[in-house]
Amino acid sequence: MGEEELHQLIRGCIKQDRKCQKMLYKAFYGFSMSICLRYASDRDQAAEVMNQGFFKVFTHIESYDPGRPFKAWLGKIMMNVSIDHYRSNLKMAYTEDLDEAVHISDGNLVDKNLNYNDLLAMVQRLPQAYRTVFNLFAIEGYSHDEIASMLNINAGTSKSNLHKARQKLKQMIFKADSSVNSANYNNGMDYTPIVAITAVAANGVFLNKGIRE
Amino acid sequence: MNHEKDKELDDFFRKGLQNPVDPVFRENDWGSLEQMLKKSRKPKGIVYWLPYISSAAALLLLFLGWWSFRPKPAAQSETQIAVLPHKAAGHGSPLASNQQLAPRNQSASHLTVQGQIAKATAAPNTGKDKPFSARAHGGLPGLAVKNALHSYTDNQLIALAQMKKGSDGPAPVNREFAMLSIASPKINFEDELVNQPVVSGNLSRGQDAGLPGQKPANKTKISLRSAFRPQYALTVLAAPDLNGVGSFQQSKVGTNVGLQFSAGLSRKFSITTGVIYSAKPYLTDFDSYHTLYKFPVTPVNVTADCRMLDIPLNIGYQVYNKHQNRISIGTGLSSYLMLHENYTFNYAASTHSYGYGYTSPTNYTVPNSKSYLMGVFNLNATYERPISSKIDIAVEPYLKLPLTNIGYSQVRLQSTGVAVGLKWNLNSLAKP
Repeated sequence: MGEEELHQLIRGCIKQDRKCQKMLYKAFYGFSMSICLRYASDRDQAAEVMNQGFFKVFTHIESYDPGRPFKAWLGKIMMNVSIDHYRSNLKMAYTEDLDEAVHISDGNLVDKNLNYNDLLAMVQRLPQAYRTVFNLFAIEGYSHDEIASMLNINAGTSKSNLHKARQKLKQMIFKADSSVNSANYNNGMDYTPIVAITAVAANGVFLNKGIRE
Repeated sequence: MNHEKDKELDDFFRKGLQNPVDPVFRENDWGSLEQMLKKSRKPKGIVYWLPYISSAAALLLLFLGWWSFRPKPAAQSETQIAVLPHKAAGHGSPLASNQQLAPRNQSASHLTVQGQIAKATAAPNTGKDKPFSARAHGGLPGLAVKNALHSYTDNQLIALAQMKKGSDGPAPVNREFAMLSIASPKINFEDELVNQPVVSGNLSRGQDAGLPGQKPANKTKISLRSAFRPQYALTVLAAPDLNGVGSFQQSKVGTNVGLQFSAGLSRKFSITTGVIYSAKPYLTDFDSYHTLYKFPVTPVNVTADCRMLDIPLNIGYQVYNKHQNRISIGTGLSSYLMLHENYTFNYAASTHSYGYGYTSPTNYTVPNSKSYLMGVFNLNATYERPISSKIDIAVEPYLKLPLTNIGYSQVRLQSTGVAVGLKWNLNSLAKP
């Protein structure tokens, strides 16, 4: 989508034009969903959180500064609504006990034939508290102090949750490797073979590079 | 070693999740969002129309005020006559007693004027017509006023009644009466009335009972004499004030400049509206600042610079009016039309820089500011003193308390200050 076309859509959204809202929604559906999917446990929950994000976008579109990248603003909102969702479900955050850590040797990870869907499914299977910290630290690149401030937890808790998240992910990778059938983490996800929206730049250090610019 | 393994795992997931397979667009997702948007739109629609509705209501109110208090052309000839005795009194005439009597009994005062006219015009005709006293007072013997009114004939009463009807009455008669009353200001009749004020009450009752034809005319005249003459005024004001959120502990000084229009509803009550341009800076703790935006680093506090139009609608009540000093108290509601909102976020020195070259925002200007209708409660007290016949100086301490959250930050913004202004009395231009 061209810059001019995007700004035209945003102007339409400021006027609460439903057509423009839907076009913007469709255009950034994939981008927003990919963020929310990482923080949610399944597609439906991700869609619910993403809609809350878009609701905030459409009701506060006038506060968007056109001088800054829209994708960054949108991505930040999606991350924030995901964190809000985590906060509202704190009681459900720790639902799984951690099994014993599985040690995997160096080089194992590179050899694994795990695609995006496999990895996403593993992240989604993490308990919410672990998943949120893992996303913020490993994917988004925040420090433990920053995560502590964002989630209203101690930096120590953040470190602990990250450690537990890593342990669980290692277990999942090990299990995936040992059982051919266990690789089906698809949780009802539907995928399209056509990539409608430009994917996040592959040369970025972090997935949310656009957000942080 | 462990650290490296962890980093490897993180990188593995980060790179693996870097190129997401875009999920298929589901129409149902859009449907549920559309429902959310529809639900939220209803109140917004009302808020959108509120400025227009309230503006129309305010204009209607002002128009009705002007309509109900506008000077009526039909009463002009009568007003002229009514004013004359005052002029005479101002020159040391015995009619001064008339003014003293007026507050006690309006009808007695009015009759004094009639008496002047009657005596002056009917003196040569004494005895020809049936005396007024006989019909008007019938069974009220011994009244002192009886002698004074003995020459007030029926014909003259009819003429007077016609005159009171304004345009219906013959113009030459009006002028004649007016001139006669100027020519003969010294009439003993007033003295008699003043000496026996009780009689004036009887007299008015007698007129009501005995002269049904004259009754409406008299009533009209009485009501006009006692009617309040509306006062209109324009005020230019400037006011420094203190603005704070929740309290005035962290208040900042703002500036207000404006123009107000006031209309007197009665001798005591007045209504005021206008437009005041306000620059309201304030400082608030970040706790009081509400936003959906998640700050990467929480600011310590927020400095706001708001520019707005304050449109007040106030009612005032005069509590003191002596020796040219007037004090009134007032209350009402203000609407804020936000023109410009800028927020500066202040951070603790160590937390501002946020790593990875990203910094938490330091400044935000709201692109589309909103209006807050009737969202502020006004309390004020006004001291006024004339400095010339047309211009008063006014000093007005005031307090503005929020009824709703104001601004993008949704804060409880309150203000207090003292407005100083010059009030231009528009009525002085319209005096006959």
